[in-house]
Amino acid sequence: MLFDHTDFNYEMGFFKIPGSDFNKEIRKDKFWSPEEGFLRGNLTKNEYVPYKNLTYFKLEPQDEQESLLYNLMAYSFAINDLNLYLDLHPEDETTYELFKKYVKEKNSLEDLYSEKYGPMTVTETQSTKYSWLKNPWPWDNSGGSMYV
Amino acid sequence: MFKYVKHLNYPIHIKKKDLKMAKYLLTQFGGANGELGAALRYFSQKFSMPDEKGKALLNDIATEELGHCEMICTMVHQLTENATVEELEANGLGSLYTEHGKGIYPSDSFGNPFTVTYFAVTGDVLADLSEDMAAEEKARATYENLINMTDDKDIIGVLLFLRQREIVHFNRFKELYDYYKKKGY
Repeated sequence: MLFDHTDFNYEMGFFKIPGSDFNKEIRKDKFWSPEEGFLRGNLTKNEYVPYKNLTYFKLEPQDEQESLLYNLMAYSFAINDLNLYLDLHPEDETTYELFKKYVKEKNSLEDLYSEKYGPMTVTETQSTKYSWLKNPWPWDNSGGSMYV
Repeated sequence: MFKYVKHLNYPIHIKKKDLKMAKYLLTQFGGANGELGAALRYFSQKFSMPDEKGKALLNDIATEELGHCEMICTMVHQLTENATVEELEANGLGSLYTEHGKGIYPSDSFGNPFTVTYFAVTGDVLADLSEDMAAEEKARATYENLINMTDDKDIIGVLLFLRQREIVHFNRFKELYDYYKKKGY
């Protein structure tokens, strides 16, 4: 079976990177952690509705770059979901604090990624050469196009 | 103003050749319940939202939906990129190939081109938000049908993610609808 009913296994840490401890960053009352929410496509615990017996697919990054990317994507996802919630609940200060924390974490992951692997946005210019155009673009199958 | 970020909303690396799925998936780009219709619907409706909450939410969900268009196209692209003409034809993609080569044309799985008649903009906040809620449910149902059409985990994982976003968006639109209704719109 590709999917299981068990919650995220914290011991696996399959896209955990050294120095990142966001597995512990859980606001137990309302939201999943960025990592758990990202896998499910839903950050809000009581809004999560799986389809049949299918929960989510566990991502397996192939290298350090992909681990960092998935971490960044998880934070970016969490920010977006909180963004939608805050649009309707701007008075929720606790959630806004969480939002700010995730933005900070996302920014530092993005800086780290850009520095090592190239820009995420065109205005990131750590590189000495213009490298925005460099492959891979997000739709490229860098993972396994040779088998498709 | 829009800014591009060079990553997908959720990772996509398809490793198995499943060309029939490419044809079916295309509808979630340019079909009646697809992501392009969703993006343009909310983008167009945001201009007549009566207060900050409505403007913000429709703006932000429209933006997310554009990212989902990119995800659907990415799946179709990865599935068809290295297929031969014979393989495309054998899997029902011959007509699409004739018209568009390996390009991703916004259409449904029958090849019907995308049309803005898939959505409405009434300028009436309750009418527009009711449509938005229905649109999210229709997209969710379509994702469930698509999930039932394949056993490839590389595709199902992505579809489960996108299906869940429909649920979240429905909830946000419902919340906004109830808020406006209560305000007497």
